[in-house]
Amino acid sequence: MTCRKVRKLIPLIAGDDLRPGLARAVRAHIDACPGCRAELEGFRAALAEVKSAAKAEGLPEWGEGEWNALMARVAAEAKGTGNVPTGAGARAFAPRWAAASVLGAAIGLAVLSVLFRGPSPRPETTPGDSGMVIASENPQQDRVSITMVSPESGLQVVWFLDKNFDYKGEQE
Amino acid sequence: MRMNETEKELIDMVLSGRTEAFEPLVTPHRDRLLALATRLTRNREEALEVAQEALLRAYRSLARFDVSRSFRNWLFQIAANEARDRYRRKSRELAAFSEVVDRAPSATAGSAAADPEAGHDRQELRAGIMRSLAALSPREREVFVLRDLEELDIRETSRVLGCSAISVRVNLSTARRKLRDAIRRDLPHLEEKR
Repeated sequence: MTCRKVRKLIPLIAGDDLRPGLARAVRAHIDACPGCRAELEGFRAALAEVKSAAKAEGLPEWGEGEWNALMARVAAEAKGTGNVPTGAGARAFAPRWAAASVLGAAIGLAVLSVLFRGPSPRPETTPGDSGMVIASENPQQDRVSITMVSPESGLQVVWFLDKNFDYKGEQE
Repeated sequence: MRMNETEKELIDMVLSGRTEAFEPLVTPHRDRLLALATRLTRNREEALEVAQEALLRAYRSLARFDVSRSFRNWLFQIAANEARDRYRRKSRELAAFSEVVDRAPSATAGSAAADPEAGHDRQELRAGIMRSLAALSPREREVFVLRDLEELDIRETSRVLGCSAISVRVNLSTARRKLRDAIRRDLPHLEEKR
């Protein structure tokens, strides 16, 4: 691992926020590199200052009047509807929507990558020029991966799709 | 942080129609909820509105709460969504930034009285850091506040914000780097002291 890559990851290693495998590799480099070690120590000290100052900031507290008024609103709402809470009108926090969004984005990216990968070779046609087209020169290919890299942090994620562009997993 | 048995019982009571159980359910979390809202909005009045709306929403949608999750983190999630919605609606970041700059010195005046010189440094540091926090993007600030100030782990943070762990790491990395760069740029003497 190079100093350049390690320094991109220092904000995360400073808070022990890297995956264990990657963290081990970064620590091995830092143990052997005085420059990166000094950079990490400086970063940790700055982060500690920020946390300390932010936590020491005077935060507001609930006034008893405000709190009682809120609880009164809850009680009034219960009386007004005559019902127990059902979730109507509230935001849904369903993880399935997040998964569906990721899947949709993955399929979209996969389709775009196929559409914009440059001029394709002239398609083969079947004997007799029947109009049938063989879409791929490699019909055995049944797995697509898309790699995205954050230019700032150097982190990357790989999405795997099958030949039907169904999401099959990801790897950081 | 998993939900405890008392919370489960209180939730069951509220869901069975005993509204009075809602107050003891949320009281243990009220101060941290308001603190989170304050750090996200950088505005006391708006934070109070966010926290109030979050608790009302929590009451309304309690039946959909997944009891395998942390109740506190669920409240955080609702508050973060509410703060984000408000931010989008009002686009008040510049106004909030100015308010923080104007307010920061008076907020720390009491602690500076005992040792004026040290107090001045702390005051300056705090004001600088608050300016830097206010200058983060909303997502960066959410991630930094939840991970570094509320001390949720990466997975909890991603659940609260409804995004992937990789997104949390990318935003956290950017936020920390911006804060570090701001200290280097705006408060170089604090760096030199180390």
